Amino acid sequence: MVLLFDLAEDALFSGIAAFGFALLFNVPKQALKACFFFAAAAHAFRTLLLFWQLPIEWASFITATLLGLAVVHWSRLVLIPRPVVTVAAVIPMVPGVYAYKSMVGLMSLHHQGFNEALLQQVVENSLLTIFILVGLSFGLAIAPVLVYRDKPIV
Amino acid sequence: MTSAPLHIDRERQMAITRIAARVAQLLQAYNAESRIIEQTTERFGIAFGLDSIEIALTSKAVILTSRFGEHCVTTTRTMKAHGIDMGIVCEVQRICILAEKQIYDLETVKCKLDNLNIPKYPPLLIAVFVALSCACFSRLFGGDVVIFVCTWLASFIAMRIRQWLTALHHNLLTVFFITAFVATFIGSGATAFGWGNNPELVMVSSVLQLVPGFPLINAVSDLVKGHITIGMARWMTATLLTLASTLGIVLAVQLGQIGTWL
Repeated sequence: MVLLFDLAEDALFSGIAAFGFALLFNVPKQALKACFFFAAAAHAFRTLLLFWQLPIEWASFITATLLGLAVVHWSRLVLIPRPVVTVAAVIPMVPGVYAYKSMVGLMSLHHQGFNEALLQQVVENSLLTIFILVGLSFGLAIAPVLVYRDKPIV
Repeated sequence: MTSAPLHIDRERQMAITRIAARVAQLLQAYNAESRIIEQTTERFGIAFGLDSIEIALTSKAVILTSRFGEHCVTTTRTMKAHGIDMGIVCEVQRICILAEKQIYDLETVKCKLDNLNIPKYPPLLIAVFVALSCACFSRLFGGDVVIFVCTWLASFIAMRIRQWLTALHHNLLTVFFITAFVATFIGSGATAFGWGNNPELVMVSSVLQLVPGFPLINAVSDLVKGHITIGMARWMTATLLTLASTLGIVLAVQLGQIGTWL
């Protein structure tokens, strides 16, 4: 029950987050609602996977794959290219904090001089950033690359 | 394909090529994925009876050749980056699909592309909601209500400054640097006064509006689908933008002498 409530809250806040970015990307009005719901569902699903102790990069990959497949049907219905919604929906899962942390760490390495703890942080954060991003993009690419190989989706 | 003429004279081939180049240029300028640019122009050419349209994308230009029988027309367009606008990408693609279904003829397509009029959301609304996004991120990281409000305020001010600088056509890197500086500097106030359950979250979350998520995802997508050079160019752009914002963050942290980012 507590988990369910947590997931609902997670979905709500990540949905709003994606909605804000969708406005920033000037996503057309008829796609805004889809951005909200797909993002909310995706982020909550990833949180669930993380709760089941899956590594974050695999959780991101699986979520993005399902998201990519789910959007295909919607995209054909309204004749809007898939990335318009998928990218906005994936934004809450983009590892922004890890990316900044690795950059700040790099600067501190220069500023404070070399030390192993700092280097460890930089390497860990940048690897996390790269793997999560690759997981997300690979996942989104599964639908067009593996399933709908020859024909364009819209 | 009934209405497409069987023979296309040179004038008409050149006209089709010009419009296809315009389509590619628009899609690239507003940050569409390379695969979409390729597919859309290709289908556009075939819809108007050409044999094929071959396209070479670089990060700064589009080179496009249309083939009909033994005639080739090649043209190049440089790309003027306009930032991300999915509204225009959708509209351009919609026009191309309607052309493919023979609903629009060449003149209509040209006219529609020349008079693209995609409404933008009002800047104030965008700023309110982007700030709300950052506030939501702080909530997802476990911040309480005080953190939520502080983050909203810090990123709202930063976002207004970002919009103002963008309207003045400043370099994107400069915009990111200044915005990150402002957001972190205001955010570090919460750390100084010790507001909320975890004051440093304000600093961390309010700069999340600057994460170049779109270029990063596009970059990896392009790499996966075989557009290696474009993908690397986008990756580099995203890295530079992250670097610029990090410089802003570090400067603000050093000036304020409060809080740490790591």
